[in-house]
Amino acid sequence: MGQLGARAGLYDAATVRVNATGSISVMVGAHSHGQGHETAFPQVVAEMLGIDESMIDIVHGDTSKIPFGMGTYGSRSLAVCGSAMVRATEKIINKAKKIAGHLLEASDADIELKDGQFTVAGTDKSVAWGDVTLAAYVPHNYPLEDIEPGLEETAFYDPANFTYPSGAYACELELDPETGRVTIERFAAADDFGNVVNPMIVEGQVHGGLAQGIGQALLESCVYDENGQLLSASYMDYAMPRAEDVPFYQVDHSCATPCTHNPLGVKGCGEAGAIGSPPAVVNAVIDALHSGGYTQVDHIDMPVSPHRVWKAMQG
Amino acid sequence: MYSFEIESPTSVADAVAALGKEEAQALGGGQTLIPSLKARLAAPSVLVSLKNIDEIKGVSINGDTVTIGGGTTHATVAAEVGSAYPALADLAVNIGDPAVRNRGTIGGSLANNDPSACYPAAALASGATIVTNTREIAADDYFEGMFTTALEEGEIVTAVKFPVPEAAAYIKFEQPASRFALVGVFVAKYADGVRVAVTGASEDGVFRWSEAESALSSNFGADALDGLSLSGDGMISDLHGSGDYRAHLIAVLTKRAVKAAA
Ligand SMILES: Cc1cc2nc3c(=O)[nH]c(=O)nc-3n(C[C@H](O)[C@H](O)[C@H](O)COP(=O)(O)OP(=O)(O)OC[C@H]3O[C@@H](n4cnc5c(N)ncnc54)[C@H](O)[C@@H]3O)c2cc1C
Repeated sequence: MGQLGARAGLYDAATVRVNATGSISVMVGAHSHGQGHETAFPQVVAEMLGIDESMIDIVHGDTSKIPFGMGTYGSRSLAVCGSAMVRATEKIINKAKKIAGHLLEASDADIELKDGQFTVAGTDKSVAWGDVTLAAYVPHNYPLEDIEPGLEETAFYDPANFTYPSGAYACELELDPETGRVTIERFAAADDFGNVVNPMIVEGQVHGGLAQGIGQALLESCVYDENGQLLSASYMDYAMPRAEDVPFYQVDHSCATPCTHNPLGVKGCGEAGAIGSPPAVVNAVIDALHSGGYTQVDHIDMPVSPHRVWKAMQG
Repeated sequence: MYSFEIESPTSVADAVAALGKEEAQALGGGQTLIPSLKARLAAPSVLVSLKNIDEIKGVSINGDTVTIGGGTTHATVAAEVGSAYPALADLAVNIGDPAVRNRGTIGGSLANNDPSACYPAAALASGATIVTNTREIAADDYFEGMFTTALEEGEIVTAVKFPVPEAAAYIKFEQPASRFALVGVFVAKYADGVRVAVTGASEDGVFRWSEAESALSSNFGADALDGLSLSGDGMISDLHGSGDYRAHLIAVLTKRAVKAAA
């Protein structure tokens, strides 16, 4: 990363284009392939401006339309690209306050933005978000000597540090000592992801990660024979986790310690489920073996198939 | 997949005639054959679909015999055999997924004789009779090893006759990926003795575990099996389990089947 010129994990970028009607297109460098950026990103901008989320459209994945970004990986989209979006929206607010100050014949330092209304502090003089955005593009009453027309801003955000989410995972399982078959009964995952923008999406990320981690712990494996022939070449032999292989999860995000160095106070959540679950599952298997009297077993390779458990029990 | 002709006769006689053509092959539910065509592991020039032959479809229950048409789907067996032969319905309802059960047929399963398939264990443990367009074959003479049966080229399984046992159960230990039987054991108790058939385990395909049969015939309880075991020699060894593991599972599952049946 250092050789690419980054401090931590590289920058990302966002362009916030406010249209004359007040609707907004946000062009982002991070790609959404199911994580729900289209839902969570507008929430952030809408809250900053006090307008409805439905007015905000996220544009991603088309390099002819978006600023140069680094993409989605390492649980970084909201923490890095989302922060770029916040910075660009702050620039939008600053400029919009200048326009509003002109329209309200007040100093922009006295303008407050709340619920989509620009108000002169301490008065009932106000102008709506949509009137300001229209003035930006139809500038017949506009401070053209001081600021350019239009309302579009770009920001590149380079994080000073990584985010450090933390969590505790607990797996309860049953092990059939006669066959070695492991069945997960309960799984609890508590994570501190800092501020949570969209709890449902965050839960979904954790659920998916848990299924992936449980799949890795118990089922999934690429197996080659001694000639290099792939044996697990179809789903007849490659064991994907299915609904019946995973329990109903208990997830908790009530402990939320904001990240100290990005404007949203958010931490990465995409990978946590897949990182925490394999050790929880395997440790639970070892614990089950110990409580069943198989105290000689202190290690078992993933995937923990029934055959491997049975072999470990044979000593 | 290579190209092929398809014929859809409506009678066994027409199907037999169509199967007389060069490189013709019967198509049941296609749940095994179509994937192997896709993988270019088979290249018949004519497929003769048995789907429209009503005379080989359906279940009839007559006294102590359940007769299932060779073209009957697993879903139909699951739905209609339960009152007469619950263990058999139970087996059918645990084959594959709904799509597989709504297409796959008992005739196709028995003709294919996959070493991990479920129906061969039921047929062998029940001492079933496999009825074809030309003859009746006792299950004991029918299964000849992995993917091999007594069927002649072009011979069609038209029905399977299962004598209804006094008690029976099938326990399938699923292979984690395919959910076929890593090992499956079917135990059936008749007035003249107990039969135990094992699928998924042997390199010779489905087989009867005769020691377990004699022990259970004199005492139909799981404890009758105490001390009985099989060797891992000649058992399938693959990425999902060794021969020794499969041999071990047979003993475990046979006890469980007896408990479930009793
Ligand atoms: C995802 C999946 C999961 C499965 N899980 C299981 C499982 O858990 N247990 C299990 O036992 N099986 C399982 N199967 C296999 C399934 O039961 C198939 O339906 C069956 O093995 C083949 O039946 P079919 O009617 O589809 O035959 P087809 O695929 O059409 O044919 C198979 C072979 O039988 C021949 N044939 C078909 N019908 C007849 C007939 N009436 N007379 C003579 N020859 C005939 C064909 O020429 C071909 O050679 C699974 C299949 C899939 C795809």
